[in-house]
Amino acid sequence: MNELWEVFSEHLPEFTSGFWVTCRLVAISLVIAMSVGTLIATLRVAPSVWLNRIGGVYVEFFRNIPLLVLLIISFAGLRRAGVPISPWVAGTASLGLYTAAFIAEALRSGVFAVGRGQIDAALSLGLTYPRVIRRIIIPQAFRTVIPAIGSLVIAMIKNSAIIGVSLVALPDLLAQARVVNAETFQANETFFWAAAGYLILTVAATFLFRYLESRYRIRR
Amino acid sequence: MTYLFDPSNWEWLVSGNNFRFLLEGFSINLQIAAVAMVISLALGLTLALLRISKLPLISVPAGIWIDVWRNLPVILVILYIWVVMPKSWASTYEDVVPGFASEALQSGLVLAGLIALVLYNSAVLAEIMRSGILSLERGQSDAAYALGLTYLQAMRRVILPQGLRRMVPATVSQLITLNKDTTLVSIIAIQEVVRHGRILSTSGVFFGEVQAPVLQVFIAIGLMFIAVNLLLSRLSRRLEIRERKRTAIKARRVTGVEDQVAAETDLVTGR
Repeated sequence: MNELWEVFSEHLPEFTSGFWVTCRLVAISLVIAMSVGTLIATLRVAPSVWLNRIGGVYVEFFRNIPLLVLLIISFAGLRRAGVPISPWVAGTASLGLYTAAFIAEALRSGVFAVGRGQIDAALSLGLTYPRVIRRIIIPQAFRTVIPAIGSLVIAMIKNSAIIGVSLVALPDLLAQARVVNAETFQANETFFWAAAGYLILTVAATFLFRYLESRYRIRR
Repeated sequence: MTYLFDPSNWEWLVSGNNFRFLLEGFSINLQIAAVAMVISLALGLTLALLRISKLPLISVPAGIWIDVWRNLPVILVILYIWVVMPKSWASTYEDVVPGFASEALQSGLVLAGLIALVLYNSAVLAEIMRSGILSLERGQSDAAYALGLTYLQAMRRVILPQGLRRMVPATVSQLITLNKDTTLVSIIAIQEVVRHGRILSTSGVFFGEVQAPVLQVFIAIGLMFIAVNLLLSRLSRRLEIRERKRTAIKARRVTGVEDQVAAETDLVTGR
């Protein structure tokens, strides 16, 4: 027990800086994932076969490719091709675009839950298609898929750990834990604290989304 | 764009046995996924049954075990097991692993990767199975007990055949996730497709006369995963539709994590 606290207090700077990097990674990626995911979901449900197909290709590509491979493509691959991409851009863009595919699918199911009737009604009232999306579909679709997005965000927090140990090598929580472990050789204690850091984030996300779910429940 | 599609950057694919080298690596990933899946299914079912036990002394520890492993990043579990696994386990594994297994799988490191993947996936599958079993109406088990079946008989004959059928799509989605997660064992130096890709793109000269750019090599690797995973998701949709036709009921879907969301969506819309 003593050793547990010793590792924590002696290496507090590493753990806190790693935790902070992980938080920022998750926050930036989440913004990318939500905005790109919404855009792709819009393509997926647009009244045009070609737009649907473009959205479909995006989803199938990013959903089925391993995140580690995506990170290598976007970092080492692009650098080799002459694009001077920074670790932060490569890491957040990969995680964000990867998660966006899942978000898009979740939103799509939310859109289909809205019901054709409402969309037809709005269109026949003279609203343009973009306005129907913004005023009728998105507010309802987002509410129905809050729990699904919650589990995707939790998965994203866990996936963010891949960035630190891949080639991108951002000093996130897991990467810092490996540094501490290499110094102390106290694997049980070090990994315990890294795990605790990720659990704090996932538990916080669970509670946040549980609150959002009850706050924005659609009363039917 | 011109760099990406420049034929001279793709020449490596057809020169020497580069492509075969990648495929060999990829087959290691598939083998690891298959072995981990089979063990996880068995262990997951056990965990699920312990979790729904009526004795708190059994169900509470099982629940904690499942929640802990399910909520940790799988890469953290892989690194942790790799660091703490006793050397003797690795050498025991190397002794007992059958001779026909490919060379990469003979290494003791594979055991650490397998243990980590099984810990994570068995916990996720346990949760999927639990909700599959609980999604059955209570009447099913009540009727089975009323007919005089014992617990084990009721499970085997009535509950599991129905409950497990409902979780087929979620399980296939988990298999897709597991497939992607096998690339993570490259971090602990198991010689699979990511390692092969790195070798190719840093020392292409050994395998052919032309350089293999890392971008093109890893796009090729990504496409391999996409092909296999698309095949798997098509298959699960087939199964689901056939099942729905056979039972003529709208199947209640079982939720899990990440990919399950997508699998569900496809079922809702029937696309």
